[in-house]
Amino acid sequence: MPIYPKGKTEKDIEKAYREASEVSKIIYPKKLNWFQNRFKNLNHFNVHRRDQDNFLVTIADFLLMIYYWFIDQYKKFIIWLYPRKDTIYGVAKDAYVCGKLTFAKKGDSSTPLHNMDVALWARTKLGGWRKLAKGYTERDGSFKLYFDFLESRKFKYRKFYFEVYQTTHVFFHQETGEALVKDVVFERYPIKKSEFSGMGYNLDNIQLFYWEYRTDTPLPRVVINDHDQDAPEYYSEDRNKAIREQFIPIELIKEDHLAIIDLNPDLLTIPKIQADYPPNLTTAMEKILPYSTRCDYWFGRRVMNGMNCATFQKDEKNEGLYWVKYFGGCSYPTNDEYAFPTVEIQFELAENGLPLPLKIKTIGPINAFNKDRYQVHEFTPNDGEKWEQAKRVARVTGALTAEADDHFAGTHLNTEQYAIALRRNVRKNPIATLLLPHLKEVALINHTADTVLIGPGYIPKASAVTEDGIVERAKDTLGAFDWKNWKPMEPISDRHTYAKAENLFWELVEDFVEYFFKENEALIEKEWYEIYCFSNDLVNNSVPLFLSTVDESTLSDSEKAMNKEKVKYFHERYRLDPNLQRVTIDGVVKCISPITTNENAPEEGDMENLKAVCKYAIMMATFMHTFINEHQYDDIGEVLYCSLGLRFGDSKEGIFRPEDDYSISPDVTRSTQMMWFSNLLSRTEYGFITRDEEHDVDPYFCKLLKSKTKEFAELNVEIDNIESRTNI
Amino acid sequence: MNSKPSIISSLFLKIKQLGSKIFLWFFSKFFTWVIVMTLSLTKRKRMSHDNGIGATGKVTIVKDPKFPAHEFFEPGRVFPARIRHASATFLDDAMSCIRSMSIKFSDKEFKSPFDLEMNTGEISLFWSAWSFWKFARLRQEKYGVEYINYYKKYPEGLKGAEVALRRDNESFHDLRYYAKTPFRFKGKDNIDRYVKYHIKPYDDIPETGIIKNPSAVDTGNQRISPHETRGRNYLKEEYENRIKTKGAKYMLQIQTRIAQDDDDQSVFNNMVPWDKEAHPWHDLAVIEIDKTLDWVESCKTSFSLNNMPKSLGIIPAKSIYDFNSLNYMRAHSETARKARLLAYKLFGYPKEIPNNDDRNSEDWAKIQKNKRSKMMR
Repeated sequence: MPIYPKGKTEKDIEKAYREASEVSKIIYPKKLNWFQNRFKNLNHFNVHRRDQDNFLVTIADFLLMIYYWFIDQYKKFIIWLYPRKDTIYGVAKDAYVCGKLTFAKKGDSSTPLHNMDVALWARTKLGGWRKLAKGYTERDGSFKLYFDFLESRKFKYRKFYFEVYQTTHVFFHQETGEALVKDVVFERYPIKKSEFSGMGYNLDNIQLFYWEYRTDTPLPRVVINDHDQDAPEYYSEDRNKAIREQFIPIELIKEDHLAIIDLNPDLLTIPKIQADYPPNLTTAMEKILPYSTRCDYWFGRRVMNGMNCATFQKDEKNEGLYWVKYFGGCSYPTNDEYAFPTVEIQFELAENGLPLPLKIKTIGPINAFNKDRYQVHEFTPNDGEKWEQAKRVARVTGALTAEADDHFAGTHLNTEQYAIALRRNVRKNPIATLLLPHLKEVALINHTADTVLIGPGYIPKASAVTEDGIVERAKDTLGAFDWKNWKPMEPISDRHTYAKAENLFWELVEDFVEYFFKENEALIEKEWYEIYCFSNDLVNNSVPLFLSTVDESTLSDSEKAMNKEKVKYFHERYRLDPNLQRVTIDGVVKCISPITTNENAPEEGDMENLKAVCKYAIMMATFMHTFINEHQYDDIGEVLYCSLGLRFGDSKEGIFRPEDDYSISPDVTRSTQMMWFSNLLSRTEYGFITRDEEHDVDPYFCKLLKSKTKEFAELNVEIDNIESRTNI
Repeated sequence: MNSKPSIISSLFLKIKQLGSKIFLWFFSKFFTWVIVMTLSLTKRKRMSHDNGIGATGKVTIVKDPKFPAHEFFEPGRVFPARIRHASATFLDDAMSCIRSMSIKFSDKEFKSPFDLEMNTGEISLFWSAWSFWKFARLRQEKYGVEYINYYKKYPEGLKGAEVALRRDNESFHDLRYYAKTPFRFKGKDNIDRYVKYHIKPYDDIPETGIIKNPSAVDTGNQRISPHETRGRNYLKEEYENRIKTKGAKYMLQIQTRIAQDDDDQSVFNNMVPWDKEAHPWHDLAVIEIDKTLDWVESCKTSFSLNNMPKSLGIIPAKSIYDFNSLNYMRAHSETARKARLLAYKLFGYPKEIPNNDDRNSEDWAKIQKNKRSKMMR
């Protein structure tokens, strides 16, 4: 098959690409939709059809929205009327309130909460607030807040409250760059006025459900009981507003389609569905230049610089050639409807520096009849139509592995484990202000993903992986992500723009983190205990090292061979250092390396470790996530070009059928859902580094990124689209 | 013009203070009447120290006092004396209890020129009238376990209990007793002072019964030790034998400090012992006991902080939060004492604590209801 569309060259395709990019560019409208109660926040999105409300319910819903609006306004009014000043009332310190804060979760209940910000407040009979004492908990979680006993006996006071605070946001002064921490009340305990009797009053052991680890999953995840009412963090109002503003039209398209499908599925076709949604890059390119996105040139270009941003492993047998490997179902649980073979693609580098595919090898079932997980099929450009179909299969497997391994495990889950450990342990240490802006909200989006995308959500219904399979796969893959000795991908050619962009961004992150450490080194050292605890939580709760728990004696030769390939490829892809000594806890080799083993002060190498962790966490949460997320719309925004799964269909050819054979494509429901997702994940982004909507990004970091605008643009990366955190 | 605001604010302060004092008076009276109605009249009970034994002897002021001269404490002066040892709250000597010693410089049932009420432990379990109210409300006793919630909420209360409780002490005699709240002392030099009192065995023998390594969680468990062989009255019986065979001799000591206008309130706080180096204990009087009283006579014997010369009385208290409010309340509990004595007259004297198997008990009413065999009556 030809490398380019007939009679066309690379120049034509690049021109089509530029034009299509403009057409498919996502613009964020400013218009506010009044029916915002239906989309309170991201967690209220549903991939399925919404329940049809009758008119009365809609009115009631609207009235409820008005009521909640009034309650919010009333609360704001009360806050305005009764401001809480940071003045301590009373002079003497002759009485105290004491106690101990620990985590509440079973198995965690004796772990103290150190350095928690606590305070004792009095409420006057007229509703005013008076602060009587403030302080922090000690390392063992204990606190002792001294206050003026006679002050507390005054007639004007009605009740007292012991409050525990949590830092929710870090904002930055735009001129000085000073970090301004926003604390909110995490828990409030009332104390009757009669309880104080002079001397001490013991609140005993207060246990807090504070960023506790889930025990129902092998992955390091935080417990979220209720996204809106009982979560360790919440989206900012502007983040929710962004979703509402951007997504209503897309939601309406999906609802429309699902309504038609309910009526009669035959009324819709995949092309019709595709046409109803805004055009993405590939549909726009196909309109400008047919076959531009199906040719070999485009295939190689996207594998290298698209959403997959694949790792090109040198071919050991053929110099100058490379392999890209997408590990499919392997031995993970899969369903019987969708195919998910492992795909290995051999590439050569063309003169222009872009890879051209030479061979596509699939390993695994390709039809409904032969379920041998290790059957091999090979295709080359000489195979005509089969080659086109093989590319499509490669795209699909590549997309699903990119989503499952690189996106979900590599950025979302990876970032969440750092976020949890940070929130649980780092408060006074300046590292909190460095990392919090980049690690916030990831737990929330992951929680949404559990139901919408992963668990009973879209992926198990629209691809080969099952609910259990995703979790097992995520656990294994996460075992290949460690901060230690991580470095960005090495470009293999001048056209390897993704790798170059990754390296460029890494340089900025290094610069930023080094600068931060230089400014804050003394305080970072002073509060080293928090880093010690942070490190412990990170390591103790990390998943086992990739494939370290596998008992080889139970595996077949094919499985062993596959695992060997995987280990080698993953070490290269995720830059996991195979020679590193790792920590073993209860017989399990842990993936993440410790930052420090010293409680009180850093020893040699510890500061460098901490810097490396910070750089890594920021890198994963920002650039690495943004790149994959942003390019989802480009690379899996056209159902027939690339979906997340291909059905086996009824023929012996299985998934090797033309694009117009809709029996192997996702059905119409899953097709519209896929488009809905693709748009959701790409259109509802909020929280960018340079846009800095909430002034919660360090100005120095913004400045560094802006200084490289041109360099990034040359690498097809728009810096204004790089997110400051993983929240979508 | 400048003086006006300060006059007004002073006036306001005076009114506020008066209000607090009035409230303290009402509070004390209310508490006393609660005792009268629930314990004294109805059950012929003291508030807490029913389980005791009285004794008589004499008290002799030391000949060479090292403390400031006082007309009442003339060197060598001898008074007849009555004392009463008791175990607080429970009617079983083998339980872990606070032990007490009260003394009057007189051999009368009540009338006396000088009385002192003391308990074991250098610090107390409460520190003001309000704190005592919380203490009383949070007793929540069941089967010999009490104050669990009080100790949880009030760390100083727990500390006081750990210091004051005595378990398995060999005798009342070898313990150390403290009147923890200070009193007035205006000596011959007319200088206002504050004093504390303390009693120890004359020969300073080691104190027994101190609970070593107390458990913060289990201090409220005052039950007898498992497999306890000693009876409910072992301490009283021991004391009786001791007095019969060799008598008991104690040293009453005094600690003084000069009153200053800018004294910190902690001076009056019975949870804060005065520094022994700065304010050393001096011998005040020798107490020699040679005869124990029978149960009825012990019941009749009562003590009062009002039985003190004016120059040695209680320090005025300003409010229910004032550390001196404890002694204030004690001084205002006369009505309860009188009601109890009235109840004796009307209903007879309460029965003695029997040496039976009803252990860990504080059920006074049950003892009164117990039938006695004809031989005992």
